[in-house]
Amino acid sequence: MDIKYVGESLVPGQLGQFFVILTFGSALLSAISYYFAAQTRDEVASWKTIGRVSFWINALAVLGIGSCLYYIIYNHLFEYHYAWAHSSRSLPTHYIISSFWEGQEGSFWLWMFWQMVLGIVLLFRAKSWESPVMAVVMLCQAILASMLLGIEVFGERVGSSPFILLREAISDPVFELPNYLGMIADGTGLNPLLQNYWMVIHPPALFLGFASMVVPFAYAVAGLWQKRYKEWMTPGLPWALFAVMTLGAGIIMGSFWAYEALNFGGFWAWDPVENASIIPWFTLIAAVHVMVAYKNSGHSYFTATFLAMISFVLVIYASFLTRSGILGETSVHSFTDLGLFWQLIFFNAVFFVIMVWMLVAHKKNMPSTKHEEDIYSREFWLFIGALVLVIACVQIIATTSIPVFNAVFGTSVAPPVDPIQHFNKWQAGFAVIVALLSGFTQFMKYRRTNSRKFFIEVLSALAIAVVLSALTVWVTKVYTNLMYILLVFASSYALVANGRILIDAFRGKWKLAGASVAHIGFGLLLIGALVAAATNEVISVNQSGYIAVAGFDQVEQPGDNLFLTEGEPVQMGDYRITYVGDSVAPPNVYYKINYERIDEESGKVIESFELRPFAQNNPAMGGLIGTPDTRHYLTHDIYTLITAAQAETHALAAGESDGLSDLDEYEEPAVYEVNIGDTMRYRNGYMVVTGVNRDATIQNIPKGENDLFVGLQVTVHSADGETYETEPVFIIRDGNVYDFGKDVPEQGLKLRFTNIMPTRDKLELMVYQKPIPEKKWVVFKAIKFPFINFFWAGTIVMTVGFLLAIFRRNKEVKRQVR
Amino acid sequence: MKKSSIVGLIVIAVAIAMIIVIYTDSSTYSTFTEAKAKEAELYVVGVLNKEKDLYYEPTVDANHFSFYMYDNDSTECKVVFRGSKPQDIERSEQIVLTGKMVGDEFHASKILMKCPSKYNQDEVEIIEATSAQVATDAITTNGFTID
Repeated sequence: MDIKYVGESLVPGQLGQFFVILTFGSALLSAISYYFAAQTRDEVASWKTIGRVSFWINALAVLGIGSCLYYIIYNHLFEYHYAWAHSSRSLPTHYIISSFWEGQEGSFWLWMFWQMVLGIVLLFRAKSWESPVMAVVMLCQAILASMLLGIEVFGERVGSSPFILLREAISDPVFELPNYLGMIADGTGLNPLLQNYWMVIHPPALFLGFASMVVPFAYAVAGLWQKRYKEWMTPGLPWALFAVMTLGAGIIMGSFWAYEALNFGGFWAWDPVENASIIPWFTLIAAVHVMVAYKNSGHSYFTATFLAMISFVLVIYASFLTRSGILGETSVHSFTDLGLFWQLIFFNAVFFVIMVWMLVAHKKNMPSTKHEEDIYSREFWLFIGALVLVIACVQIIATTSIPVFNAVFGTSVAPPVDPIQHFNKWQAGFAVIVALLSGFTQFMKYRRTNSRKFFIEVLSALAIAVVLSALTVWVTKVYTNLMYILLVFASSYALVANGRILIDAFRGKWKLAGASVAHIGFGLLLIGALVAAATNEVISVNQSGYIAVAGFDQVEQPGDNLFLTEGEPVQMGDYRITYVGDSVAPPNVYYKINYERIDEESGKVIESFELRPFAQNNPAMGGLIGTPDTRHYLTHDIYTLITAAQAETHALAAGESDGLSDLDEYEEPAVYEVNIGDTMRYRNGYMVVTGVNRDATIQNIPKGENDLFVGLQVTVHSADGETYETEPVFIIRDGNVYDFGKDVPEQGLKLRFTNIMPTRDKLELMVYQKPIPEKKWVVFKAIKFPFINFFWAGTIVMTVGFLLAIFRRNKEVKRQVR
Repeated sequence: MKKSSIVGLIVIAVAIAMIIVIYTDSSTYSTFTEAKAKEAELYVVGVLNKEKDLYYEPTVDANHFSFYMYDNDSTECKVVFRGSKPQDIERSEQIVLTGKMVGDEFHASKILMKCPSKYNQDEVEIIEATSAQVATDAITTNGFTID
């Protein structure tokens, strides 16, 4: 039975679906055409032309998908599942962008979009490499596009379309009604954790990194395929550096988002999703180093090519881990399976097979050198450094892949109970070696180093590094652990050695600047990460420590969460903190927490600031979700997060009224029979009847001849000395009796003058009081992160270093072309 | 011996050490009964007992939260968590606890919840439309009931 649905706008979806199919078809055509163009070495010009034309069609189609999807989300077309599942009407416009890539389909689109942009650059810049490189890139584009197809092939659904309708995605009897659309209240909304401006820019940066990894892979394939073994590294190197730079920046942005917006209280948690993104970054960094070594010495060709290729395969493996649902309960934030499980495995397999096939088939022809590397040569130690990175990577892969092993072998091994400790134990060791290598290898020369000169330089740097690290260890207080000291020393050594090279760079050897700056950034980053992770302390410790709860007293240890009642200051470490109040800005509630530091002797407030962590009560996403607020200092940060709060304010934020009429807000009234001069008590003071006003007027109600308007003048004296004048009015109009009560909102009072009893010479006054409001409270957690700015600064410096290196290597490309 | 073979041997040695350590660090998904026997930190998977009350009184102790959970063998156990109550625990389909047994209580250091995913959520929130005016009451239905 066909139902004619009312009010659906199907055009954007159909158009979008058309673009999806066009994207897939044009990418496939482009890949095939470029393949033949490369096979024929561009002798048949028409293949290349078809490849280019279909690439441009593909580019337009990708933009078309994006526009349709954006139109759907922006206009709240909830007949589409994607808009319904990822946005809501109350979502601020700037976060519509985030809801765009909250779903897997949107993030696949993002990946395709960047790959398309990179394709345009390659089209203009790759020159003789265009055909083979674009053949690989467009193959990847075609596979990505297939993820969005959402059509059935031989009974199997291929891909998951972002343009699927809500009524097709979900079965609910409501869809039997033609006008169901009018009953869809709202979308389920964007996860509050993603409602952060870092979430607007972190995914694009990350996916630009992922997408650009395909380029070094494609160059490596092209180099082997076209037997231009030595040449590919020159144009491949700046691309590899670009990928390393953007992916690194993207990962750290994610870490900054986690720190600023997530409530797990840290910047790196070794979550499988985080690990998945850092694995290819490690291998590509190793690749960059070995590629440089090969270019300068002719050694390690196989390793360089292998690393450049495996990095992209690992990118695909990462997307398999995060998108297939295989991580299950081991990760807090991976996607659930969209039915793309086998398609993702296919994606992995294709590029893995290409890599293995290329490496095996061309192994014999690869350039190699007869003589061994000298131990006093830079290429030897670059190779060792790369090897250490690879081993570090293997460790991360091994632990992260435990769910994969479980799925393959049918076992049920659980990952380590404390992943942070488990990974840190290994990675700290690797970091020490890598930092030391990145220091002393800088004093090496290619092929052969003068060992005497080398040792003088190494030792003088060592001396400075010892002093610097002793100072750092003392200032940052990490002397409790040998590993911490070692890591600070190794990082300091990297800083000093590379600082030395940087001085040379300033003296005119500009070529060296990129590497030294990047390594300095790396050293800073390590120190920052170590100090912040090792010495962060929860400062909201419940200092009294004993809140007796029957049955638990024996294990009572001070907890991390502190209970605060509004207006009651609590001493917490150096600070006196007060929960001042809250303000509601739907859908969020902002809690004002005032921090004051007080000089012990004079009792004066030295420093005072207010943090406003906020929380959103989102039942669809799992209740109260807190977003921290952080006070940044040069040497440390103070991070504050609400972990629990009174529910009422949240009902207000959600725009719910409790539906009570005016009088229901008050307790049962007290009825008094009074005369002028009488005094009555109420909870917070007393009130006195001061007089009767026989000429009372009421706005908008004209007084007729026989009407009686009488006001009862009452003065309210509150306990804190304030007085309030008020005058409830009693009316007899056209023979009917009314009364107009008056509020004293400051005191939560309402007074009604309800009757005049001439026989008894009494006036009837009704006093309504509001119930005592429950004092507002919050439970919060505060953490101090010392020296975390080193971590962020290190990242920026490292990115600048990569950028300098890209410029340098790009010049080499131009020289080669000439 | 060639340098490359020395390097190779070191790599193999480190790799073996790594695998051993990963193996010893790895844990198992177990039950309350096993947790009682082992007294070590481990994972327990189970479901929340929704019949019994969750206890969290921040006014009394902001760092104490307790509830009852059934493990995969349907053994019930009281779970104590030193921290604030995870907000969505009532809706959880599955709970993965990290922690150890202390007496008859399981002291959890970490609670991981699996909530009904928003991706396969089959609930549509609909609003009741009364003539021209849209009623403010939103009702969530699984089976669609508009009266």
